Amino acid sequence: MTQTVEPAIIIRGMNKFYGSFQALKNIDLTVEQGERIVICGPSGSGKSTLIRCINHLEAHQSGDIAVLGTPLDNNIANIDEIRREVGMVFQHFNLFPHMTVLENCALAPMLVRKWPRAKAEEMAMQYLEKVKIPDQAEKFPGQLSGGQQQRVAIARSLSMQPKVLLFDEPTSALDPEMISEVLDVMVSLANDGMTMLCVTHEMGFARQVADRVIFMDEGEIIEQNPPEEFFGNPQNERTQQFLSQILGR
Amino acid sequence: MLSAWNNIKLRNAVLQILYVGGFVALIVTLIVMGRTNLQEQGIISGFDFLWKATGWEVSFSLIEFTSRDPYWLVLVVGLLNTLFLGVIGLVLATVIGVIIGMARTSANDLARLLGATYVEIFRNIPLIVQVFFWYAVVTRFPGPRQAINVGDSLFLSSRGLYAPGLNITGLSAFLGIVAFLTGLGVIVWVSSAQQFRRMEPARKSRLRWLILLVAFVVTTVIFWIGRLPDTTLVSMPALKGLNFRGGIRVSTELSAMAISIAIYGGAYIAEIVRGGFKSVGRGQIEAAQSVGLTNWQVFSRIRFPLALRAMLPILANQYVWLIKATTMGIAIGFTDFFMVVSTAINQSGQTLELLGILMGGFLIINFTLAAVLNRINRAIALKGDQLRT
Amino acid sequence: MTGDMGRPSILAMLRTRYFSTLGNAILSIISFSILALITWKVLDWAVFSAVFSAANGPEACKAVDGACWAVIDARWRLILFGLYPHEEHWRSGLACGVVVLMTVLSCLPYFWNGRSISIIWIGGFLAFYFLMKGGIFGMPVVDEQRWGGLSLTVFIFLTTVLVGTPLSILLALLRRSELPWISGVTGIIIDSVRSLPLLTILFAFAVVLPFLLPDWASGDKLYRAILGSALFFAAYQAEIIRGGMQGVPKGQEEAAKSLGVRYRHRIQRILLPQAFKNALPATINQFVITFKETSLFIIIGFFEILASGNAAYGTGNWTFAFVEVYAFIALIYFAFVFSLSRYGAFLERRMDVGDQ
Repeated sequence: MTQTVEPAIIIRGMNKFYGSFQALKNIDLTVEQGERIVICGPSGSGKSTLIRCINHLEAHQSGDIAVLGTPLDNNIANIDEIRREVGMVFQHFNLFPHMTVLENCALAPMLVRKWPRAKAEEMAMQYLEKVKIPDQAEKFPGQLSGGQQQRVAIARSLSMQPKVLLFDEPTSALDPEMISEVLDVMVSLANDGMTMLCVTHEMGFARQVADRVIFMDEGEIIEQNPPEEFFGNPQNERTQQFLSQILGR
Repeated sequence: MLSAWNNIKLRNAVLQILYVGGFVALIVTLIVMGRTNLQEQGIISGFDFLWKATGWEVSFSLIEFTSRDPYWLVLVVGLLNTLFLGVIGLVLATVIGVIIGMARTSANDLARLLGATYVEIFRNIPLIVQVFFWYAVVTRFPGPRQAINVGDSLFLSSRGLYAPGLNITGLSAFLGIVAFLTGLGVIVWVSSAQQFRRMEPARKSRLRWLILLVAFVVTTVIFWIGRLPDTTLVSMPALKGLNFRGGIRVSTELSAMAISIAIYGGAYIAEIVRGGFKSVGRGQIEAAQSVGLTNWQVFSRIRFPLALRAMLPILANQYVWLIKATTMGIAIGFTDFFMVVSTAINQSGQTLELLGILMGGFLIINFTLAAVLNRINRAIALKGDQLRT
Repeated sequence: MTGDMGRPSILAMLRTRYFSTLGNAILSIISFSILALITWKVLDWAVFSAVFSAANGPEACKAVDGACWAVIDARWRLILFGLYPHEEHWRSGLACGVVVLMTVLSCLPYFWNGRSISIIWIGGFLAFYFLMKGGIFGMPVVDEQRWGGLSLTVFIFLTTVLVGTPLSILLALLRRSELPWISGVTGIIIDSVRSLPLLTILFAFAVVLPFLLPDWASGDKLYRAILGSALFFAAYQAEIIRGGMQGVPKGQEEAAKSLGVRYRHRIQRILLPQAFKNALPATINQFVITFKETSLFIIIGFFEILASGNAAYGTGNWTFAFVEVYAFIALIYFAFVFSLSRYGAFLERRMDVGDQ
């Protein structure tokens, strides 16, 4: 076998329905390892649904998804395998309110990776330092600001040492002054070479770190290009319209 | 095998089949085991026994019943008694509950203290203790000859409460009550239905009084038509020999049950009423006051309608609970549905069938009550999410 | 409202509070009269004119208008301990003390985690059971048939809750299953049990079941009845827990899923702790209701506290003293139920404040 690097995510002809409503139409997408992708589009365009299908928070009805070579099918062992390797950061943080910050981060490594507590907490502390809040480790999520909570959520995902990170509008629920602290963490992750799929409206972030920007509308991928091309010379009319609305041009 | 177990669709299907199958198997096994066991005791299963004569009497019945009447009729007697006690209990409990609940939301802290005392005492003592207590009280009244006499028309004795009644046929009593209740229903409909929303308040009020008058007249006429020949319309209880004749008798069992349910249920309903009024936001009341409504108008147009909407779902649960509580009548020998069924099981041995009838009866009563209350609830529920803003 | 300027005199305060309008004045006078009348009547009956000692027998009560507490003095052992052997009464009393201690401990937030609560309740139950039953540490064996009075009431309650709680969690989880047949059938089970009166369920389990089952499968009547009572408790408690689960945001489970945490741990570590917290006030309320409902066991023929109370005044020369006996039993129920429900209301208020 030759030592080729296999793609992080492969999606082929994927369709997703809610009852009779088709949320995703014939999606094809390949994400290489280490690639940083930003997905944007108007609300209801299916961008969140797309990344939630990747770790099977939503089931797709047809087409194929494979993550790091593991097919996402009816096999529960495969779903577990994929969820171990794919982390996710949510719009509303979804921190566990009855656990301290440190317990939030150490929980999954202990339960899923079966690490002893000492090792799990040591690793968790490392990632809390990475997101620059080691001093809050013993507090409960309710005692932190929105920006701090979202950074804890990122540290919690990192503690599982995932190979792919999914971001579902990570800054949309934040007050404006807290957005940058979260974006800084995301930029530094990108610089470390993490494979990232970000659903976000932060076009500055997209310009700065994205390898590819994807525009979705009505459940379809309309356009995908590197940021210079995407912002400088949008091809599709719907993309142009969206950009002019969001960038105020 | 392991890989098949990992298949999510297969696993889900197997789990569901096992669960539903296991449940059905359990029920079927119980029934089959029960049947064979009963057959060994010489009891033939089936519903034929319903048409056999019971051979026993009941102590209280709204309709004619003798020991020669069949089993199905005794079940009807029990069901009617349960409903009868249920309706009396619910109405009395609601009246008490509303009064105490209003006292508990009053601005006057003496009235609040009185309400709180009532609720805390009667809610925190089990209903069955209260039933035994009241039964002991009512059976210790003096005998008929020394009965407590209230204005020569009400007599309290150890045989029960005797009150003036009407000498009319059962049918006309039933129709008359139905007519009057229909009138009340129309009034509620006029007050709340969409069609009448835009009517002038003064005209609406006159219309309501008119309907009430018509209902009253119709009821009286029905009673008059149905009066028994050769008697006065109103029958007064009077002491004849060792007991009272005439009037209507409320048995000690019925009155003990009705008193207990009314008092106990009243305490719970009072809390529901209080909760309903508490849920009406201060802002709503301030807004009403700021447009110049009087205190009564604020209450009748704003606070009460909003509080009622908050109360109804919980009230529905409470009503279902109180209906179920009528089964405690068996403790003092009130022949309700449950007591009739358990006597019938004892006498006939048709255990499975009667158990099915018992459960089915209560399922029907409670699901009907819940469905009716849900309908009312939906009809008056606020549309959209206007309360949240 | 001029009286409110500066420091109002007591008289002015009374006037604005109780006599501001004619309606308010009437309400105040009526409420005050009723309260005063009842307080006086009850005090007079229960204390001032009452007979407390049974030394002179029932005859002493006939001479006075007040309460005849002598009946309690004479029969309290019967009411509290039923037919339990006289020289072993201390065991029955101690067992009830254990349960009171257990209840108080579970009300302390310090013990509010799955492990502590389980240890307290299961340990308390075992202590209660072996104290009552005997057979160890040289205590003679006393069979369940001879248990009675307050301790039987407590035993029924304890066992109902201990069997019913795991069952209710199971039912709640099945009810919220994503698989439609599982949640559907569980829904039917829960709704059916809830719409039946407890008494009919007790009747079916205790009285009817032996007719249907072969002898080897019937078991003891007391435990059959408790099983029915536990099933009834579980159906109600399942809906309470389900309500608590619905209060946990959907994102909590999604976050756990996205971390690869499996179903068992998601339920154990994420969902249940939060659901229990949401459901706590309603749960306490359900415990209170269940305790009150143990009194129904009298109807299917058990010698619990109400039955032993009936026996206490029903025989001998005390037949006139039923009010005192019922008042005594009511007071025992009241003490437990009132304090627990007050505690529940306090928790609810505290949680409301915490949420804001």
